Amino acid sequence: MNMRLNPIVKKDVKVQSRSMRICWGVFAYEGILALVFFLTMLSIQESNRYSVANIYSQMVWLYPILAVTQMVILGVVVPIRTASSISGEKERQTFDIMMTTSMTPFAIVWGKVMTAVIQSMLFVAASMPVMALPFVIGGMPWSALFWFLAITLLLSFFAASIGILCSSFCRKTVSAVIFSYGFYFLFFVGTVLPFILVSLLSMNTGYSSTYTFSGAVSYSWWENILLFLLLNPAVYLTEFFMRIMTGESIVNTISYGRLSGATQIGGPIRLVATGNRWMIVSTILLLAVSFLFLLLAARRINPMIRRRVKTHGRKKVSDRTA
Amino acid sequence: MLRIDHLCKNYGNFRAVSDLSLHIPQGDLFGFVGPNGAGKTTTIRMVCGLMPPDGGSISINGADALAHQKELKRQIGYVPDFFGVYDNLKVREYMDFYGSMYRMSSAEIARISEDLLELVNLADKKEVFVDTLSRGMKQRLCVARALIHNPALLVLDEPNSGLDPRARVEMKELLLNLQSMGKTIVISSHILSELSEMCNSIGIMDQGRLVASGHIDEVMASVFGGSQLIVSFDEGRETAVRIAREQAKATVDSVGEHELRLSHTMTKREVAAFIGTLIANEVVVTGFNRQEGNLETLFMRVIGNREEGEHEHASESHR
Repeated sequence: MNMRLNPIVKKDVKVQSRSMRICWGVFAYEGILALVFFLTMLSIQESNRYSVANIYSQMVWLYPILAVTQMVILGVVVPIRTASSISGEKERQTFDIMMTTSMTPFAIVWGKVMTAVIQSMLFVAASMPVMALPFVIGGMPWSALFWFLAITLLLSFFAASIGILCSSFCRKTVSAVIFSYGFYFLFFVGTVLPFILVSLLSMNTGYSSTYTFSGAVSYSWWENILLFLLLNPAVYLTEFFMRIMTGESIVNTISYGRLSGATQIGGPIRLVATGNRWMIVSTILLLAVSFLFLLLAARRINPMIRRRVKTHGRKKVSDRTA
Repeated sequence: MLRIDHLCKNYGNFRAVSDLSLHIPQGDLFGFVGPNGAGKTTTIRMVCGLMPPDGGSISINGADALAHQKELKRQIGYVPDFFGVYDNLKVREYMDFYGSMYRMSSAEIARISEDLLELVNLADKKEVFVDTLSRGMKQRLCVARALIHNPALLVLDEPNSGLDPRARVEMKELLLNLQSMGKTIVISSHILSELSEMCNSIGIMDQGRLVASGHIDEVMASVFGGSQLIVSFDEGRETAVRIAREQAKATVDSVGEHELRLSHTMTKREVAAFIGTLIANEVVVTGFNRQEGNLETLFMRVIGNREEGEHEHASESHR
């Protein structure tokens, strides 16, 4: 089998590895993790000052704390990295040359995203000595480390796809970065908003939408609004850590335990929130949305696709001159 | 080689390219000239697949370039007016990067890069970082990059802008070298004197229209109504006049004691053949001078005539 590395990945990784920026990036990343590590250790030590409990067993909490810290840093870094990728090529005026080569727009977009994902995995790999402590001392199962890497990969890919989409829409890197943060923020807040609104409404009106079938069980359908949370990276991450650390589900907690209680809720949410299905469905959805963004970005950068632009209040068929 | 038929492009209400038809044969070095905003770059971008036309067709070697974009990209090498660089990338890696974008194998890229860097006089700069090269070197590297996949057509958009005189001469020599290798080259430039030294055919664009195109001598002849040739000789006056009158594309304007003045529409080769015939018939030719309008005067004549025509048309319409 002839495996070919995407030329953009090969070139970008090479160029980045020669830059001091990546070294300073890893240094800052490790620095933040070290700081969080020491603060957590200090906190564990303080809480056990007058206790005879085994301090080592509490070191498992280093795992979610360090993992979430890494996710937050990557959530900040990855959109910047990809938001500057296409717009950066346009600013360097290398974009046109790239578009005259045999590479398809999707291959170009894919190469840019993969570079960002590889960079984020480099950061994560560099954090392994610190990250391994809860596994070596705290007794966390090693499979949790594997799952952490898988989740990091997925969320980096998701953040990168948002960045590349915004980059394909903007000519300037600065506007692409701002746009991608806004879009990223929309996924965190926008997907929670319907749930908050319905919760506030139900607090005022009671479970007005709850009705009883001819059977004995009372069903509430409004909680299907929770399905929006399938696309929320923060909820995804919380669900993952809650499953690993406590075996509980965030979705069940949000719905006041009624997914498994006697007073049940109906509709698709009940199917999705059973067992590990939430994680599986959420993973599939986040991947699907990421690929959709990549396809949109590829379409956007394809110079031969006509698009409608509004000029002087009228719609005209035109195209960008990149 | 490259055939463009009724190509059109609008930006909103502005017609950037209007009904442009053009044929560039294999091996030609075609100069695209025109004032700013004439539509040269828009045409070049459409030919290179960087912009969809609103109408018309483009074919390369008989294949519809718009319908077969993948094939088009393999046939064209594009050199833009600005050389964008990647920091921290060496010349060899730069070539390797673009070669791999055409799905070429590493061995193939290494072999072709070696030859191309030799051709553009950058063989000793292989391990040098691209951003440290001079502008002239960067532009030559850009030409080498555009040739990595051995395209049939090389398109250069203002390649000499910002280059110093020496770099311009090097670029000119490089392009002539490529033409002698059988490459078809389309070059857009504002430096008309250089184009006249390089190109064997030209296209003059103005306001989105191709106002004149063809072999450079033919265009000159059609605009100026022919060129003048002055032949100086010592002996064989009668023979010289007889041979000159036998030429189908020449008329004798005046005959002096040691000088013959002709108006002609002959190509350079035909002029050379004519002089050869005189010498073969024992006319002692001591010198000859081919006087013709240069590209600048041709350009000004074409654009000027057009502007005058439009002005008159506007005045008539107004009346």
